[in-house]
Amino acid sequence: MTPAEAFGQYLELYKAAYTAKDGILSRLNASCAAALPGAIESYSTESTDIRETRTPALFAPDYGVNAGRIEMPADPAKSFRCGVPKLNSLLAIVSYDIFHATDTMTRGAVAGLTYESLRTLKDAEADDAEAILMKSIDTSRPDVLVNGLLLQDGIFIHTSAGTIVEKALQIVNIDAASVPMLSPRRIVIHAEADSHVKILLCDHSQNEDIENLNSQVVQIVAERGSKVELYDIEETNASTRRNCTIYADISDRASIVLNGSFLRGGITRNEYVVNLKGKQAEAHLSGLGICTDSQILDNRVTLTHSGTDGHSSQLFKNALFDSAKASFGGKIIVTEGAERTDAVQTNRNLLASPDARMHTSPQLEIYCDDVKCGHGAATGQLDEQALFYMQTRGIPREEAVRMLTQAFMVDVVDNISFEVLRQRLHILVEKRLNGTSGSCDTCATACHPQSPEQL
Amino acid sequence: MNENKENKVITDATEGEYKYGFTSDIDTDIIPPGLSEDVIRFISAKKHEPDWLLDFRLNAYRHWLTLPVPQWAHLTIPPIDYQAISYYAAPVKRNTPKSMDEVDPALVDTFNRLGIPLEEQKVLSGMAVDAVMDSVSVKTTHRERLAELGIIFCSFSEAVREYPDLVRKYLGKVVSYRDNFYAALNSAVFSDGSFVYIPKGVRCPMELSTYFRINAAGTGQFERTLIVADDDSYVSYLEGCTAPMRDENQLHAAIVEIIVEDRAEVKYSTVQNWYAGDAEGRGGIYNFVTKRGLCRGDYSKLSWTQVETGSAITWKYPSCILAGEGSVGEFYSVAVTNRMQQADTGTKMIHIGSNSRSTIVSKGISAGHSQNSYRGLVKVDKNAEGCRNYTQCDSLLLSSTCGAHTFPVIDVANSSAVVEHEATTSKISEDQIFYCNQRGIPTEEAVALIVNGYAKEVMNKLPMEFAVEAQKLLEITLEGSVG
Amino acid sequence: MSEFLLKVNNLRAGIDGKEILRGVNLEIRPGEVHAIMGPNGSGKSTLSGVLAGDPRFTVTEGSAELHGIDLLDLSPEDRSHEGLFLSFQYPVEIPGVTMVNFMRAAVNAKRKYFGEPPMSAADFLKMMRQKRAIVELDNKLASRSVNEGFSGGEKKRNEIFQMAVLEPKLSILDETDSGLDIDALRIVAGGVNKLRNESNATIVITHYQRLLDYIKPDYVHILYKGRIVHSGGPELALELEEKGYDWIKQETDQQ
Repeated sequence: MTPAEAFGQYLELYKAAYTAKDGILSRLNASCAAALPGAIESYSTESTDIRETRTPALFAPDYGVNAGRIEMPADPAKSFRCGVPKLNSLLAIVSYDIFHATDTMTRGAVAGLTYESLRTLKDAEADDAEAILMKSIDTSRPDVLVNGLLLQDGIFIHTSAGTIVEKALQIVNIDAASVPMLSPRRIVIHAEADSHVKILLCDHSQNEDIENLNSQVVQIVAERGSKVELYDIEETNASTRRNCTIYADISDRASIVLNGSFLRGGITRNEYVVNLKGKQAEAHLSGLGICTDSQILDNRVTLTHSGTDGHSSQLFKNALFDSAKASFGGKIIVTEGAERTDAVQTNRNLLASPDARMHTSPQLEIYCDDVKCGHGAATGQLDEQALFYMQTRGIPREEAVRMLTQAFMVDVVDNISFEVLRQRLHILVEKRLNGTSGSCDTCATACHPQSPEQL
Repeated sequence: MNENKENKVITDATEGEYKYGFTSDIDTDIIPPGLSEDVIRFISAKKHEPDWLLDFRLNAYRHWLTLPVPQWAHLTIPPIDYQAISYYAAPVKRNTPKSMDEVDPALVDTFNRLGIPLEEQKVLSGMAVDAVMDSVSVKTTHRERLAELGIIFCSFSEAVREYPDLVRKYLGKVVSYRDNFYAALNSAVFSDGSFVYIPKGVRCPMELSTYFRINAAGTGQFERTLIVADDDSYVSYLEGCTAPMRDENQLHAAIVEIIVEDRAEVKYSTVQNWYAGDAEGRGGIYNFVTKRGLCRGDYSKLSWTQVETGSAITWKYPSCILAGEGSVGEFYSVAVTNRMQQADTGTKMIHIGSNSRSTIVSKGISAGHSQNSYRGLVKVDKNAEGCRNYTQCDSLLLSSTCGAHTFPVIDVANSSAVVEHEATTSKISEDQIFYCNQRGIPTEEAVALIVNGYAKEVMNKLPMEFAVEAQKLLEITLEGSVG
Repeated sequence: MSEFLLKVNNLRAGIDGKEILRGVNLEIRPGEVHAIMGPNGSGKSTLSGVLAGDPRFTVTEGSAELHGIDLLDLSPEDRSHEGLFLSFQYPVEIPGVTMVNFMRAAVNAKRKYFGEPPMSAADFLKMMRQKRAIVELDNKLASRSVNEGFSGGEKKRNEIFQMAVLEPKLSILDETDSGLDIDALRIVAGGVNKLRNESNATIVITHYQRLLDYIKPDYVHILYKGRIVHSGGPELALELEEKGYDWIKQETDQQ
């Protein structure tokens, strides 16, 4: 299927089924519709070695769209119970693409925090959200335009100057459709000066045999001195495709943390577009992937330093089993004038099966001399000596392999400063490697009842 | 730095810049610019080539016509008018020279000025030289001694005449004319080059060397080098390049093909000093070269060492196809760019044979307004067990207006492979410069000192005669780069 | 059950097709301490590696039995469960795996092998505390990754600590004295002596007499060119200290 056909089908769908003309989202839909043909025209095949994660391949199947905004059968907000103990989060649930607030949000309301659907925003906040949505339309990316084209809901998170939100904002995405669907999701995060917010995203799929595409775009604007942390845990299933792009603009002294854990899924492509525009801006990206069966994970980073004294770090690790495939494409750009930039990027991969495959392309583009930039990439297998040492202590080889694989991942998890989540992820990784985790481990909904002891 | 010194540095950098920029006053047999099947037939006829070679050229030409110019490199290449280039320029020869006395004295003088020990008396240092001027091989020294060992070292055209079966067996087997745009062009119009064959079990007792020089104006140089190292043999091959200063750009599109058989070893060293253009980026050589070796034999080894200081634009990826069990590929590179130079260079290591190993050490040094990129591929085939690669790729930045880029690709499809890549980019250390200054070493010298230290790991891989020249070239290239 | 704890018969083994052990015979009874000495490259570490099941070595001939069980047939972990312990000359660093997790996995794997339930966390931590005292191992080391960033002395103490936890029947101490200063040597040797009893045995592999001042051997064997060429009492070690290995080499090479 050509890119024109893969993306073009959604333009047809939009023209046929989207009738609303008013509101932020309708205006976004229309402007994306206008930009899409040009983007398709100028689309050139991406250089990733993994064909399956090229965007036309992800969008090619004939997915349906919930144009009529039909509610999914169960009300997930009522049946959801969080699997992260003591998380005590402000929980929202997105079923398909429909936003559901929960009573934790009303009970835990924080002054200075807006946390609601893009559909219900009013006045100044609506203008703010629209400005961010419209300003940063990336007209070069057909996949991002299709997301904007079909978007009917989304989440707006806004922290006013100086607001510190202690509790985590947890957003649970649940796929419950019974036919192949494309779910367009959007999260707009605007942290005003010196505010601090942390967000946890959990992705789940319920129907093992229904193919879905989750198209997600996250836009982060971190103003002077603010701090935004975004943690993302994917535990879906083999029939789920995910195409997620996270944009982040970082001003003076602001910092962001982006952490992704791929524990289970089908084909996932995560794209990070991070711009350190301000002085002393900071960005810390990390990701781990545990891929088994024929799972495919593609993490791509474009991180641009254009402010002085910026600091960025990237740490991405993958463990590949069976016939899993993964790719890491990371690019650091340091523009002219971004003096005293300090950027480091690390990618480490474990190939634990003869049929697994890893593709890595770490890139540096540097146009400024006073910088400290480095990247390291390594692909290999577990240390035989360490395995033998463990065996001589009586630890069976299989368990030794699991322990070493977990140890290989440990620094990605240890990087998480959000303590409850860090502890939880250690357990999730262990369970995943044990083969004992279910697909809804973090966020046990009533459809998969599990007692806390099991978790 | 005081003002006088500074002025001198600037003068050196802008006027005395290209030491090798003289032209030779030699009669040249040159055909009018333009490229067509007729031109190819003319070149082939001029060289009395057999039909199969003419067919090879014509097939390459027809394929070339279908290809777009490659755009993927991190380079800005002005459009090249391939019809404005003359595809054949040979120094006019009375006859094939039998001794030094018969060689055009002006030509001998040219080589002497280049410091090439062409005359036999001067070759006691033990180097056999094949000098390629414009596109034609002028003279090969030390032939007799090599012949005793069964080593063939001659110009490409001579090899076509004398050893047509060998040439036909290996030509285009590593770099097919379908490989890329410039390889297709070269395959169509190549005029000469060097041919080396080392028979089974022979260690070549001296360094074999080729000096390339583009002399005539408005010409391109399209030479081919073909090296075959048979079982258990060894050869070290050196390639040097210079060109006169001209204010138009000249195209150099060469092919080097190397075949390494069982347990054989080939060391290929290049010191590339093509004219880089002036301070404003006028003139200079476009160096678009395809170099590739096939380590076909088990436990064979191919080592590329390159010091790239010249050319306006460099597009070059000396690569190893490691097909043999336990074969070894190495790539050691120093690439220096200054003023408006652009370089996109690196290597490919393709691991097909089990237990094959490769090492990549790349040192990029960027100054002025130049752009310097490392581009590499390490690929481990699904059936290649126990392969190892280590890549180290460092960039040093000497100005705030230059660029240093790294584009490695690592593709591993076998779980027993261990592949490691490390890269760093940094500015030249002010502490080190200050330390040198405090000990009385001026900044200019300190930079040369530090850069030479930085590049040492690669320079050490060069044969002695070359190392000294390469070190000087680094210094000359970087003159005036620190202000 | 055999009267021997370890019985090695005509053991031949090598690495990458190169033969290193050329017919080793060795018999050890419960309660005994045997020292194996010999010049560099004589095969001492190969012997310990082969007995513990290091996959790098290939056994070409001969047998090795631990209390009557064919050792060579077992995986390294099962050899451990059956009571073989190797104190490594170079203990392996395992970043990211904490000592506590490492030892709990080892202890519970052994219990599972013998059909026992896993140890409770409280009992386990209590045991760790007791065993640590034997080699005066710092509590802080327990929360660090296995051997990572440990000093030479700490690594060797950590080996003896693990030995104390696993309570092996046969311990092989491979050059445990290398890289130790005199205080560390005393602590390590003291730990080994505390763990000795009537039913277990120890093989001490060493270059020097020094360690044998602290761990008194009953028998001393000299390994040279892959064979035990001399056996004797503790006096043999003293003789070696005095005369060096040259006389052994001459004697053997003349034969």
